[in-house]
Amino acid sequence: MRKNNIIIQNLHIRYGKKSVLHDVNMEFPANKFSVLLGANGSGKSTLFRAIAGLHAKYEGSITIAGANSAAMQFKERAKLMGFLPQFYQTVFPFTVEEIMLTGRVAFSGFSPAKHDRELLEQVLHDLDLTHLRKEPFTVLSGGEQQMIMIGRLLMQNPKIIVMDEPTNHLDVYYQNYLMRKLKAYANNGVTVIAIMHNPTLAYQYADEFFFMNNGTVINSEQCSIPDLERLQEVYKTEFLHVEHNNLKIVLPNLK
Amino acid sequence: MNRKIANIICYALPVPVLVLSLFIGSSENTDFGTYISLLYKKLSDGLNATETESYNMISNIIWNVRLPRVVLTFLIGAALSTSGTVLQAIFRNPLVDSYVLGISAGAAFGAALSITYGGVPVNIAAFIGGTLAVLATYSMAGSGKQSSIVSIVLAGMVVSGMFTAFLAIVQYISNPYKLQAIVQWTMGNLHAASWIELKQTLIPVIAGLLIVFIYRWRINLLALGDDAAKAVGVNPALDKLILIGCATLMTATTVAAAGIISFYGLFLPHIVRMLIGADNVKAIPGNIFLGGTFLLVIDNFSRSLFAFEVPVGIFTMLLGGPFFIYLMRKNKINWA
Repeated sequence: MRKNNIIIQNLHIRYGKKSVLHDVNMEFPANKFSVLLGANGSGKSTLFRAIAGLHAKYEGSITIAGANSAAMQFKERAKLMGFLPQFYQTVFPFTVEEIMLTGRVAFSGFSPAKHDRELLEQVLHDLDLTHLRKEPFTVLSGGEQQMIMIGRLLMQNPKIIVMDEPTNHLDVYYQNYLMRKLKAYANNGVTVIAIMHNPTLAYQYADEFFFMNNGTVINSEQCSIPDLERLQEVYKTEFLHVEHNNLKIVLPNLK
Repeated sequence: MNRKIANIICYALPVPVLVLSLFIGSSENTDFGTYISLLYKKLSDGLNATETESYNMISNIIWNVRLPRVVLTFLIGAALSTSGTVLQAIFRNPLVDSYVLGISAGAAFGAALSITYGGVPVNIAAFIGGTLAVLATYSMAGSGKQSSIVSIVLAGMVVSGMFTAFLAIVQYISNPYKLQAIVQWTMGNLHAASWIELKQTLIPVIAGLLIVFIYRWRINLLALGDDAAKAVGVNPALDKLILIGCATLMTATTVAAAGIISFYGLFLPHIVRMLIGADNVKAIPGNIFLGGTFLLVIDNFSRSLFAFEVPVGIFTMLLGGPFFIYLMRKNKINWA
């Protein structure tokens, strides 16, 4: 069986003359929930866009499930990987169903197949979105829109889920709801990688932690104990580690 | 809006409107009743000499003058509104159509050059002009993230203005006889329609409509933007090229046949969206049928309201504008 991991070697990305990422060497392990933490503008989104094939100009190599990412066809990648971009917009009042079905265009070509509609029912049910199905996407709240876009990604049945700030716009309930889902996907053999801005939330659910600092990625060696030193280095903020009812909680020390 | 009523408006209305349109016009004694009674008499007892003469005249007007015009009008309406829908989706911009993006002006310039200097057929010259215009707009607005709603409209206006200026130069330097031909044609007229004209329009428009119809589901994805397409494994470049090509081909063909009909491709897609929703799987056939029917209705007004014929471009504004405002207020559409 193929290992659905992502290996990055000597990755360099420049915008013009400005170096955004340099010397990135890392591996997102298969079937784990990995989180990438880092300050604003540190290059996290650029790294994820490169992994998702949206940023084609780079030096070095990205290997996805054993295959060279640069040589991968769009459709081939879509079978393997679902990507949630940080920004999306639509001007037209498409309904939730119509938006989610677009996740199947690469597979079904010119009209949605019966299988696609079955998949739609299943994803709507899984994410508790059935009541929104006929609503226009444009009138939904930011959090609802985010859940719909996550649903669209799941319509691909991906082996690897790549998400840029999945908890963006979500309220506390949905943040935890989504994190539990992602954890469950990882336990069921899906590789999940996500950019997050909330270390507290990340440390309650994720398996692996990576830190983006000054355009390169540092792998957190020890995962069972939160890496407070790294957190402080990345966020220029002191962090606390609190244990409460067997919950390990990481908090910024705002004193 | 009730789904059933919307479907009746889109799909059942075309047939009676098409038939009705055959019996509207400036000639006397060509109403439906006269024609049917003569036809009935011809089939049952035969006609006398005067009746035969008037029957021949009426059927000549209906089949050789009005039918080509009616079919041409329907095709032009369908082509313009479908092009508008495609362009609005691809540019993710509810404010554009082939006129706003400069395609119409580019096509008109190409066609005017061909009318004045010959060489290339009008159809082909219009297509080349339209293609140049859409390329200019697209590259000026910048594709991808940088192209905001405003920058696309601005780029389109600039391109449109420039091609209109080129058109004015052609008019300025051409001789009076050719000038008259160009001016009449740019005003958006359908009265010169004949079977020959129709033949030149039929194939490119039907081909364009067919391709867009096949691509209708994919247009939903393209309307979400390049990243949203790539994220689910579709390279949008080829789809966009094919669809913009179809929109340009159809627009250029209509411009070559009937001059510039502005605004129609902008508001018709909105009317269809308000009636049957944004989903292009349903909206594309809706645009083909309602787009054709509605232009026929407008053309019927333009040739029956006054003793002389008013160019159809004028009536598209006068009738379409208020109807659009009415629907807009009634539906309170939310544009993000």
